[in-house]
Amino acid sequence: MSIFIDRTTRVVVQGITGSEGAFWTKHMIDIGTTVVAGVTPGKEGQNVEGVPVFNTVRAAVAATGADASMIFVPPRLTMDAVMEALDAGIRTIVTVADGIPLHEAAMIRAAALRLGARIVGGNTSGVISPGQAMMGMFPFWIERVYKPGRIGVMTRSGSLTNEVTAMVVKGGYGVSSLIGVGGDPIPGSRFAEYLPDFQADCETDAVVIIGELGGTMEEEVAEAIRSGSFRKPLVAFIGGRTAPVGRRMGHAGAISSGGSGSALDKARLLESVGALVADRPARVGDLLAEALSGRKASAGGRR
Amino acid sequence: MKLFEYQAKEAFAAAGMAVPKSVLATDEATVVSANVGWPRVLKSQVLRGGRGKAGLVVLARDAGAAGSEARRLFASEHNVKRILVEEAVAFVREIYLAITLDPLTGSALVLACAEGGVDIEELAKTAPDRIMRQPVTMQEGLRPFQARIIAYGLGLDGKQAKSVATVLEQLWQVFRSHDAELAEINPLFMLADGSAVAGDGKLAIDDNAMFRHAALEPGRDYYDSDIAFEAAKEGIPYLQFDGDISLMCAGAGLTTTVYDLVNYEGGSVANYLEFGGPNYRKAVRAMELCLGNNPKVVLIVTFGTIARADVMATGIAEAIAKLKPRCPIVACIRGTGEEEAQATLRAAGLEPLSDTEEAVRSAVRLAQGGTR
Repeated sequence: MSIFIDRTTRVVVQGITGSEGAFWTKHMIDIGTTVVAGVTPGKEGQNVEGVPVFNTVRAAVAATGADASMIFVPPRLTMDAVMEALDAGIRTIVTVADGIPLHEAAMIRAAALRLGARIVGGNTSGVISPGQAMMGMFPFWIERVYKPGRIGVMTRSGSLTNEVTAMVVKGGYGVSSLIGVGGDPIPGSRFAEYLPDFQADCETDAVVIIGELGGTMEEEVAEAIRSGSFRKPLVAFIGGRTAPVGRRMGHAGAISSGGSGSALDKARLLESVGALVADRPARVGDLLAEALSGRKASAGGRR
Repeated sequence: MKLFEYQAKEAFAAAGMAVPKSVLATDEATVVSANVGWPRVLKSQVLRGGRGKAGLVVLARDAGAAGSEARRLFASEHNVKRILVEEAVAFVREIYLAITLDPLTGSALVLACAEGGVDIEELAKTAPDRIMRQPVTMQEGLRPFQARIIAYGLGLDGKQAKSVATVLEQLWQVFRSHDAELAEINPLFMLADGSAVAGDGKLAIDDNAMFRHAALEPGRDYYDSDIAFEAAKEGIPYLQFDGDISLMCAGAGLTTTVYDLVNYEGGSVANYLEFGGPNYRKAVRAMELCLGNNPKVVLIVTFGTIARADVMATGIAEAIAKLKPRCPIVACIRGTGEEEAQATLRAAGLEPLSDTEEAVRSAVRLAQGGTR
């Protein structure tokens, strides 16, 4: 079992004829993803990597039964592309665009909640279940990063994900599913919303979250642990511990406003509910070992 | 991008809101001669918060005081280029109003408080129940009844309530038309006749929407340094610091982490520069900006996917050939195309590393006069 996508997910790629769309469609197929359709207005009848192209998502869904959309359109066109996928009945969406206007990101988030859709992104590499399928842009062939295994990963960052996930693998583990919720201030979905899936996933033993200063996503994870709704071991790395207050460092979503939202506050809160927090990526492997052995030792006493 | 107060007030006035009578002055003579009556308020146009406490907003009762205060402000360390000279408004009470976005719901959020002039972040921590919160869906926009809920909820009545409801509708227009992250009036002055005047204005525009607001393109005075301004024109994320290790990294999260690691190791950062994402073909320009700080070391750390390692390495080799940096360069480049990248870097005379912490330690040693 994997989170979000597996090989049975039928993916339509919006923006498939663009250079990024075409390049990553090939890699999505190579890893094992079922890509059934592409959409580029005006290019119906063409094909990319053997995938038929349609003018509209509605036509693509009607012809192929696509049930998830991978969106590779530029940021200014992203809201329209998301709304088109939702209109066609699709409720599983990944949008990688970096630079979606904030008011449009808010409307995307509101639409996701209103329709019960799961929208990952923007400003993300996407979602991958190594060895099975991906919606996004991951160099899955780099085995010291994207090794299949039993650790769930959630992240707000792209490059840092490679850095931290390499440490998960170096520690002797691999990845079950990786969800990049993205680095924007208003992502389509949030860390805590995937915790129930990781909790239920019998192929995930522990979860690593890669957070950073700003926002409240890490605090929401802490609340899920505190309330007992998430009960597997959790290791966190949070970037920006030494970032100066009040200056925007990192993603637009990452600004420390004095006290609240600081990386240190997040780390302390997570530790207070029993999560293990690494102060540097290289510590993640050791902390996973500690968290997993601790769980075994107290397995009988845990709810 | 944060706007200066005078720009926020121009936007407010264009939406029909009342603002104090004012003159924007760039010299002492204008501060004194401005036709706004006495006493007058001298408001330094700087982007930092807490201007009042820092002595950057002062009341002047006569020409002598206005002149000496203007001299002090223009000469201060806070880089004051403009002073907004305003009439002193006689008010009977002050109110706080703001509109921002709630990332959890994707709705806008109107915030209001019956006491103006407050530090809203402090109040949110100490007495959150004194802040009214009214969600507004982005698609429907602020309804008149929602503005009334807030106005009457603040304990206002009569003409005051009507004035505040009108100001809220105007603030909503500004918020939407400017793609604002935050539109804030703190304080809103309530006058004896029941009318309302925006005493201060904060407007922060979403950087991703700046293409819709070209007229507000920021100039040099929005930035910490010439290099920061140059970087902004290139669209390269950059922060100026005063240490000696220049960070030329890719990816916001990774660059922030490298910044942490340099600090952990006892090093100091000269600048934060991120040439990943859409900028990964700009290595030459990025290195040029970094070298402008005369750093002791340039530290390059990347682990890119879309930002291909081989392309970045080729750019770095080109930058070294063209710029001939005198300081050592520590490079740790991984990700898509990394084998080719390492070969390219070796050919350019570098010894590429593959471990981030090893690279950071090496850079800190070099900056402290040691060896790799």
